[in-house]
Amino acid sequence: MTYDWSVVWENRGLLLEGAWTTIVLTVLTMAVAVVGGLVLAFLRMSPFRVVRAGATAFVEFFRATPLILQIYWVFYILPATFDIQFSAFTTGLVGLSLNVSAFNSETFRAGITSIRRGQWHAALALGMTRAQVMRQVILPQAVWRVLPALASTWVSLFKDTSLVSTIAVADLAYNALQVRARTYRILEVLTAMAVLYWLMGYPQAKLVDWIHRRFEVVE
Amino acid sequence: MLDLTPVLVNWRFLTRALGTTLLLSLLAMLVGLVVGTLVGILRTYGPRGLDRVLALYVDTFRAVPLLVILVWTFFAFPLVIGYALDPLQAGVVGLGLHSGAYIAEVIRGGLTSVRRGQMRAALALGMTRGQAILTIILPQAAIRMLPPLGSQLVLVIKDSALAAVIAVPELMRQSQIVAGQTFRPFEIYTTAMIVYFLVLYPIARGIDRIYQRLAPLGAS
Repeated sequence: MTYDWSVVWENRGLLLEGAWTTIVLTVLTMAVAVVGGLVLAFLRMSPFRVVRAGATAFVEFFRATPLILQIYWVFYILPATFDIQFSAFTTGLVGLSLNVSAFNSETFRAGITSIRRGQWHAALALGMTRAQVMRQVILPQAVWRVLPALASTWVSLFKDTSLVSTIAVADLAYNALQVRARTYRILEVLTAMAVLYWLMGYPQAKLVDWIHRRFEVVE
Repeated sequence: MLDLTPVLVNWRFLTRALGTTLLLSLLAMLVGLVVGTLVGILRTYGPRGLDRVLALYVDTFRAVPLLVILVWTFFAFPLVIGYALDPLQAGVVGLGLHSGAYIAEVIRGGLTSVRRGQMRAALALGMTRGQAILTIILPQAAIRMLPPLGSQLVLVIKDSALAAVIAVPELMRQSQIVAGQTFRPFEIYTTAMIVYFLVLYPIARGIDRIYQRLAPLGAS
């Protein structure tokens, strides 16, 4: 069969727009999910049992169910709960953020608990309050320890944003599939989509490997 | 109001879909294990040039979204080979090659975690490299690989829901169909969510349990 690659060039605007949406969605989701993950991590260390159990249930649930189902679920539950129709983009952002927050909270919790307990004792013995210990002693060290895991989550998130194409967010995957449906140049358009994702994802994967080598804790 | 009738009426349909989810996951995991083990061993002990090529495979599948891989395998790949794949075949190939890339990294990490001295000692005893890998290195590495391989199984089952986009009749896809027919998306998707959780959570916890038992065995 003959291939006609000009179709990719003709639709470059749509494809690049989609790629831009993919990037924006990744950045926004991570911004929300870092805060969400921190909140969840602290809730899981709360002195109140009910709070701990609630946060744990949330995290375990979102970690043990498929993301695509979570996005669908949010798509149907959001309008029903708040009685307004959210845009597809907002819905996708909420779904991805809930999921990544759950994963981030585990990362943060592991980072915080990886700092030896002796440091807590020492800082408290020096007369610091618990909040001071957390802010000035534990977190500054934990930040570097969570960086590799956070970087891995970032790449997963970048790839997972493609799932929002199923609820019609105009990201790279969605726009490419639209172009395919309109032009019937299936092989060309789908290959172009894969190559575009590769061009964005490959350097990120390599960067993550470097971060792992550079910041991995060896004790 | 919550109305669970659509779920009850379609329970046979949805149970069969769960069976397909498990079948797809197991087959994909199998493909992933075979490909991943081969690639992992070849990257660790094979020639340098081959390592470069295989690294490209691993990093490509780590960089491209699974959705894109599945769509490409189902719609574009048949145009290249001139042979149509049915959705399940495409799902097994796409999902299998995807997890194979991650499993290869697990295998490689496990193999390189066994101290180099052990290989030298085995060679000094007159073993061939193949013997040393099979009888000395792999058994020790295998125990350390078990927990990450278990996580891979959980990931594969979760990711199998993505096969819905290429119409594999698994749980996600069939839930979409039932939700569309009954206009009860909320009840259907909530049920599907709970079913996935009931399958995945015990596996994830079981792996933690096994890991705690086995961890001491992996020490060297």
